[in-house]
Amino acid sequence: MAAGRGPARGPTGAAFERRGRAAAAMAEEALEDGRTARTLPSLRQLSRALPFARSHGRLGVSASGRLTVPALCSQESADPQQTAFALRKAWTLYSVTPLHRFRRSRLSDYARLLSAFIAAEKQKGLAVEVGVELDIKVALSSLAELRGSELDQAALLVQLSSRSRASSKNSEDKLVWSGWFCSMFGDELSENVPENFTCLPLFLTHGAESYTSLVGSWFQKTFDCCFRRLAISPLNLSWMVAMWAGYKLERAASAVELVFSMPCLSQPLDISYAIHPEDAKALWDTVQKTPGEITQGEVDVFMDCLYAHFHRHFKIHLSAAKLVKVSTGIASAHCDGIVKILHSQYLPGVLMLLTELAISQIQ
Amino acid sequence: MDATVAEYIRRTVLKMPKDEIKMMLQKWGFLSEAQLQTLNFHQIKDNISHEVVQLCEENSADIKQAAALDIIYNHIYQNKRMWSVYQMKKSGEEDEYFDIADFKKKFKRRIRSALKNVTITFKEYEDNAIWIRVAWGTPYKKPNQYKPSYVVYHSQTPFIFISASMLKSNLPLLCQALIVASNYHDIREMELRSHSLNSLKDIVFKRYSQNFETYTPKPLQGGNVEPENADIRIIHENGREKERIHRLNQEAFGSGPQPQLEFAQYKLETMFKSGPKMDVLDKKEPFRCLVKFSSPHLLESLKSLAPAGMADAPLSPLLTCIPHKARNYFKIREKKKSFVSP
Repeated sequence: MAAGRGPARGPTGAAFERRGRAAAAMAEEALEDGRTARTLPSLRQLSRALPFARSHGRLGVSASGRLTVPALCSQESADPQQTAFALRKAWTLYSVTPLHRFRRSRLSDYARLLSAFIAAEKQKGLAVEVGVELDIKVALSSLAELRGSELDQAALLVQLSSRSRASSKNSEDKLVWSGWFCSMFGDELSENVPENFTCLPLFLTHGAESYTSLVGSWFQKTFDCCFRRLAISPLNLSWMVAMWAGYKLERAASAVELVFSMPCLSQPLDISYAIHPEDAKALWDTVQKTPGEITQGEVDVFMDCLYAHFHRHFKIHLSAAKLVKVSTGIASAHCDGIVKILHSQYLPGVLMLLTELAISQIQ
Repeated sequence: MDATVAEYIRRTVLKMPKDEIKMMLQKWGFLSEAQLQTLNFHQIKDNISHEVVQLCEENSADIKQAAALDIIYNHIYQNKRMWSVYQMKKSGEEDEYFDIADFKKKFKRRIRSALKNVTITFKEYEDNAIWIRVAWGTPYKKPNQYKPSYVVYHSQTPFIFISASMLKSNLPLLCQALIVASNYHDIREMELRSHSLNSLKDIVFKRYSQNFETYTPKPLQGGNVEPENADIRIIHENGREKERIHRLNQEAFGSGPQPQLEFAQYKLETMFKSGPKMDVLDKKEPFRCLVKFSSPHLLESLKSLAPAGMADAPLSPLLTCIPHKARNYFKIREKKKSFVSP
């Protein structure tokens, strides 16, 4: 799978720039003022499901493509209940290589097997909880609506609940851990993979690390896949904050905040730089030249403006600091690979970005 | 002995690190040396606390003694609390002789005239600091001993340090009582907050090594920026620049240790000015930002920014003014060409 390809880096080194095999056929257009944007090899459907950006390159399409904010696959019947679980929780991110011989029809079998695995591991003494004896119940479900295009696999949700043995039979199960596999417009990966493989490159977890490693080990053993923590580089964080700052939110949103850490000092120093969301959006609106299209150059200008304003007051070069966290009313992201999504409307867009990052790490 | 008092004493002892309990009980002086000898300090804290309570029972401790023990703990662990600084103003009268007994009487009277259910405790320390502990109740409830306010006052100065409890509503009463008791006319909160009480004192009492506005025509002797390399073939390319930065840093921060603050916050309401080549935002309204610097030792880390190449030297006066303006909360607005902080 993609053996000969290494992660290519474009001129700006953005992880979003990857050359797929099809990309070789892609033209790189130079626009008048020297910025470059990428063209799609073929626009599959100019439907509402058209991605905001083709994963083959940057988040942007040339002037000929029509763009919208990506919508979930079947938005007409979108059940807010299905996506509600994903919102307002801090998810830890992993990239996952394709799963071998994964069968959707066997979800209940898998749940049983995973449950037995966890119980066995606890017997071995690798207990996750000390004290109260807990039975862990496993539930696996498919979320047909959490995907981008028809080619994406439906998301797979794993939930671990506990019921204390001491309590009565009809006491409620308490959700102790959840994790879900997802692919949002991850076609670049899925189209290059043999038959028996299921591509769900993004894995998000919420709950104790010990459960994460139990679930991860079982998946690794059963489907011969590989998990890796997905870190988010400062470059990608700056893309995110620029994009998210530009989105319109109906009611009063929270500030656009960037958190920097200054390395190599005698005493550690953290700087939180929070901008009023209206002012941040106003700035971004004057930077972004074409609605629906973002280029690296525009992100750079946006960040440089923020750095310059800061420098004017404090004489400190924020560009020399490490951007560790960005936070807006839409979502927040931390460089250790932790995100929180606040708005269902923008869930597909954020997931698409993260899917790209995951794919980039796998290849 | 009241059960609530017993419980309060027990919980106070539990807060203390095991190897310091004996010392704090000795400072407290309520239990006799003989009684302290009977305590086994090698058992678990839970048991120690119960034994202490039993001894207090023998001596019939009341809430006053319990409060005194709490002050002792909080005096030693003062840095666990967040302190705000207030400054009192006289109307220009001559300095009166400070009578501590009078101060206490007036303070208690003023508070009690508004609220009966309070516990007020005083303790004086050698450095002329008067510590006041106030536990607040309501007209219908007894004072909550677990959320008291602490006040530290050095009688020779107009400064008050307050570590308030959750009940912000009692703050005006507290401030009033303080100015009445100390014969001042007004009190205002300074924009200065930190966990390090001593650093706050250093700043307002000007006890840190300051930058005096003397002009040093030649670079300071001694105090090299970095240890010299043994190999003379290696020279610093930017030697001059390093020296310049070092000198400017010294001028801005002084050469002694900095008072310890944990954060500084700036509310910016200045205009956004784009660079000459950028075709960006040119609004007539301010670009609203909130910037917060945090560090275990903020001033030291700011001092090291320019030498590390992360900032220009001289560093912005917005940062270097923190100690001598005695504030770490700022609101910056544009005023013609210069920044003014109100």
